Amino acid sequence: MASKIKAMKATKFVSLMLDRQKRFKAADAQLPEMPDNAMALARALHPKRQYLKVAAVTDMAADTKSFTLVPDPERGTKELAYFGAGKYLTVFETIEGMPVTRAYSISSSPKESLEGKYVLTIKLVEGGLVSRYIFDNWTEGTAVEVSAPAGNFEYQPLRDAKNVICIAGGSGITPFVSMAKAIADGDEDFEMILLYGSRNYDNIVFRDELEEIAASCDKIKVVHVLSDDKKCRRKGIEKGFITAELIKKYAPENEKYSVFICGPQQMYDFVDKELETLNLEKKYIRHEMFGEFHNPQTQEDYPAGIPETVRITVTIQDKTYIIKGSSSDSVMQILEKNGLSAPARCRSGECGFCHSHLISGKVYVPKHLEKRRLADFEFNCIHPCCSFPLTDLEINVPVAK
Amino acid sequence: MNYDVIVIGAGNGGLAAAATCAKAGLSTLLLEKHNIPGGAASSFVRGRFEFDPSLHELCEVGTQDKLGTVDEIFNRIGIDIDWCSHPSTFRLIVPAKEGDTDAFVNEDGVRVTVDARMPNGYEAFAKKLDELVPGSYDSCMAAFDLSIRMNALFDATEDLSLLPGTIKDLPDVMRLVSHSLKDLLDTLGMPKKAQDIFCTYWSYMGAPASIFDSIYLTVIGSYVKFGSVVPRNRSHAISIAIDKAIRDYGGDIWYNSEVTKVITKNGKPAGVVINGEKEVHGKYIICNAVPNVAWSELFDLKDVPEKQLRMLNARKVACSLSTVYIGLNKSKEELGLKDYSIFIAPDSDSDKQYEAAQKFFNGYCIINCVNNIIPDCSPEGTTQLFLTTITFGDSMKGIKPQDYKKFKTEVAKDMIETCEKALNISITPYIEEIEIALPPTFARYLNTPWGTPYGYMLEKWDSIIPRTVQAVMDRPFDNFFFCGASQQRGDGYSSAYFTGEQAAKEIIMMENKKGGK
Repeated sequence: MASKIKAMKATKFVSLMLDRQKRFKAADAQLPEMPDNAMALARALHPKRQYLKVAAVTDMAADTKSFTLVPDPERGTKELAYFGAGKYLTVFETIEGMPVTRAYSISSSPKESLEGKYVLTIKLVEGGLVSRYIFDNWTEGTAVEVSAPAGNFEYQPLRDAKNVICIAGGSGITPFVSMAKAIADGDEDFEMILLYGSRNYDNIVFRDELEEIAASCDKIKVVHVLSDDKKCRRKGIEKGFITAELIKKYAPENEKYSVFICGPQQMYDFVDKELETLNLEKKYIRHEMFGEFHNPQTQEDYPAGIPETVRITVTIQDKTYIIKGSSSDSVMQILEKNGLSAPARCRSGECGFCHSHLISGKVYVPKHLEKRRLADFEFNCIHPCCSFPLTDLEINVPVAK
Repeated sequence: MNYDVIVIGAGNGGLAAAATCAKAGLSTLLLEKHNIPGGAASSFVRGRFEFDPSLHELCEVGTQDKLGTVDEIFNRIGIDIDWCSHPSTFRLIVPAKEGDTDAFVNEDGVRVTVDARMPNGYEAFAKKLDELVPGSYDSCMAAFDLSIRMNALFDATEDLSLLPGTIKDLPDVMRLVSHSLKDLLDTLGMPKKAQDIFCTYWSYMGAPASIFDSIYLTVIGSYVKFGSVVPRNRSHAISIAIDKAIRDYGGDIWYNSEVTKVITKNGKPAGVVINGEKEVHGKYIICNAVPNVAWSELFDLKDVPEKQLRMLNARKVACSLSTVYIGLNKSKEELGLKDYSIFIAPDSDSDKQYEAAQKFFNGYCIINCVNNIIPDCSPEGTTQLFLTTITFGDSMKGIKPQDYKKFKTEVAKDMIETCEKALNISITPYIEEIEIALPPTFARYLNTPWGTPYGYMLEKWDSIIPRTVQAVMDRPFDNFFFCGASQQRGDGYSSAYFTGEQAAKEIIMMENKKGGK
C-alpha cells in the first residue's frame, strides 16, 4: 500500500496552493449577484414587517368590521407577502404609549394578496383594548404595521383527509372564508363542509359571501348552526350547538374526514368533548390557536396562595427595568401595561417568537398552551405570552422589533 | 457601548466563539437576528412532536475513553450534553432498475443492487464491506489507517505553528490531500462497488468522491470509529446550553437583534449597527454570517477588500438541502422501520447521485428514524422521521411565491413515495404532522445564498488543508474573523464549533500579546 501511495504525485499539493491564490487573483472584483431565488423567495414570503394602509372599512355586522389593507410603498412595502389560506397577521399598535400586538386571521384569499389586498375581519371584543382602538381609529388612509403571514392552521394534503369538516364559531369564521375562496380559486383542493355556529340568522357574518362561494363551487357546503334563533324556518338551517350527532350527519359515510376548529374557548371546550365520542384519530383534529388567555386562576392546576401583585425585573438588551403587575396577567401583558414590549406573534404559546429567559422566580403555564421545546424546561426558558407569574420574577427578554 | 468582541450571529460557530471569548474574560456581545440560538442546531414543535431542522447525525463526539473534537470543545466551553448513539453507521439501499443484472431481493422483499447495513468500528466495518464486496478488506483497513494519520494533521491545524513539523512527519498524508478521494481509493485498489458503499456519507460534506479531496477520509473514519450521535434533548439543548455558558461567563446575548451594518473607522471594522438603529462598538468582530451576505449587506462596498470580492467570484456556493419532517401515529415496529440512517440512492456511484441532485426530486433520500436512536423522542405509539435530499438552489428557478406551497408538497410526496417503495413500507396514511423545508426555508433561517448550510464547495483547490494553510492570507482585516461552514473546515457541526473557537483563540492570543488581559 505504502508504495502505491508514494507513487502519487507529491508536488501537486504545492501547485494546488499556488493555484488557489491564482484563481482568486483571476476572478472578477465585482460584488456577485446572489446566485438564485431561494433567498429572494424567503424574503418575499417572510418580510420582517409589512407597512400597509387602510383602503376601506366595511360593516359586516353590528359588532364586526372588515378592514381592507393595501401596501404603503412610501413606507417601504411595495407588495404583500403571499400566504396559505388560514394564516394570520400580527398587528402592531401603540395605544396611549403602550405597545400592543394582536393576531388576526386573514379573511381574504391568497389570490387577493397578489392583487395587493389583505382583509382582516375583526369583532369588537367586550372590554377589549385593541379591537376597540382599531374600531375607533382605523379609517381610510390610516397607516398600519403588520407581521408577515404566520401560523400553521392550513390544509395539508399529505396529512389531512380529502373531506374537511370545518367548525367555526363567531369570528372564528375568518380563516375558513379565506380557505373557501382559495378552494374556489383552485389554490387549495379539498371538500369543505362548513358547520358555522352563529346566534341568529340575521347576525351571520359573511352570510352572503359564503352563499355566493358555495353556489359557485361544488367542493364547498355551508351549514348554519344557530344557537339562539328559534324562529328561523329557512331550509338547511340547523338549530342548537355543533354536536357529535351533527358532525356525523354531515360527515361523509365510509370515508375519512378531518375536523378543523376555529372559535372561542367555550366552543373548543364543547366541541372537543363531542369529538371524543367520535373516536377520530388525533391527526384528523386540528385547532386554530386559542388566542390571548386570561385569568389563570380558573384552571384546576393553578396553585393556591399566589400574591395578587408581583414585581418583575426585566432586562432588554442593555437596559434593566423594575415593573409591577397583576398575577392574573401574562408576563407579556404586564410588560405592555408598563410601556415595554416583548417580541410577539401568536400570543397563544405556539409560535415561540417571544422565547425568553427566566432568571429567577416561578411562572404558571396553562397546560393546553404548553408548546415549549424540551430543553427550554431544563434551561428555564419561557414564552411570556402564556406564562403567568406566581412569584416576583427576573427575566431577560429579547428586544421587540 | 463598547465591547472587546462582538459576535455576529449565534449559529454554531458564533456560539463557540462567544463562549470562548467570554470564558477568557473578554467582554463579549453575541448578536442574533432570530429569537433562539443555534442556526441549524435548533428545534421546533408541531403538535406532540419536536423536530430537529438538521442535526441528524453528529460526528466527532467520542466515547468516554477517546474524546472527539466536539467533546473537547464542549469540555472547554463547559457544557455537558446527554448523547444517544447507534451501533451502526448507515444502511445504503440502491433500488434496482429495469435490466440491472446484479439485482437481488433483500430482506424487505425489495429488488435492489445494493443493501449495505454497515456497523461501527474499523474492523467490523471492513469485514462487512469485504462480505458485501469480496477483496475489499485490505484496502478498507488501509484507508482507515490513513484516516487516523490524517487526523494527526487535523490536530496540527489547530495550532498552525505545529503544521510544518507535522507535514514533514506525514509525507504520505500530504501527498494525499491534493488528490481526490476517488483517486486515493483507486490507488489503494478498493473495488468500485466497495468504494460506492465506503463513500455513502459524501452528502454530509456536499461534494462527491471525485471532487472532494482525500481529507474526507477523516470524516468517514470518525463516523465509523465513534458512530453517529444525537443529543437526547434535541439540538436546541446544545445551543441553549452554550447560551447559558456564555451568560455564566459574563457575556451578553441579544436576540431579535440583527446586525444591519458593520461600522468602519479608517477602513477597519469598529462596531456594528443593530436593527438599523443602535450602535455598539467593539475591538474585534467575529462574523458567523457568510461572506456573501457580510460583504453585500453589512459593509459599504468601498470598505470591502478587493480580494474578498474576488474570492466570492472564484468560489462556488455549495449545494443546499430539502428536508421533510414527519410525525407518524404508528410505532416504528408497526411501520417496519429498523434502522436509524438509511440512504436511498438512485445509483450507488456518488458522482451520479450528485448529478441527479441537480434537479428536483432525484430519488436520493436520507431517512432518519429518530426513534431508533432516541427511543422516547416521541409519545408511545408514534414515530418521528426525517427525509432529506440534496438540492441545488438553482433548481428552484422560476418558482414564484404563489407556486411554492404546491411545489413543496409535490417534492415531499415524491420523497415519501420513494422511501415507501425502497423500504416496502407504508407511511402516508399515518402522517399526523408534517413540515417541509426547501432551500428558501434554510435561506430564511441561515441567511445564506441558496439556503446552503455547507458554505462554499470544497473543491480540491479550495479544500480544507489549502483553506487552513492560507487562512491568514485570506483574512480581510486583522480584527475581523469569519466562522462557520464557509470557513476552513467546511460544513458540519464539529467544523462550525471548531472555526468559532479558532477565531476566538486568535483574538485571545492577540490580546495576550498586547499584554492586555
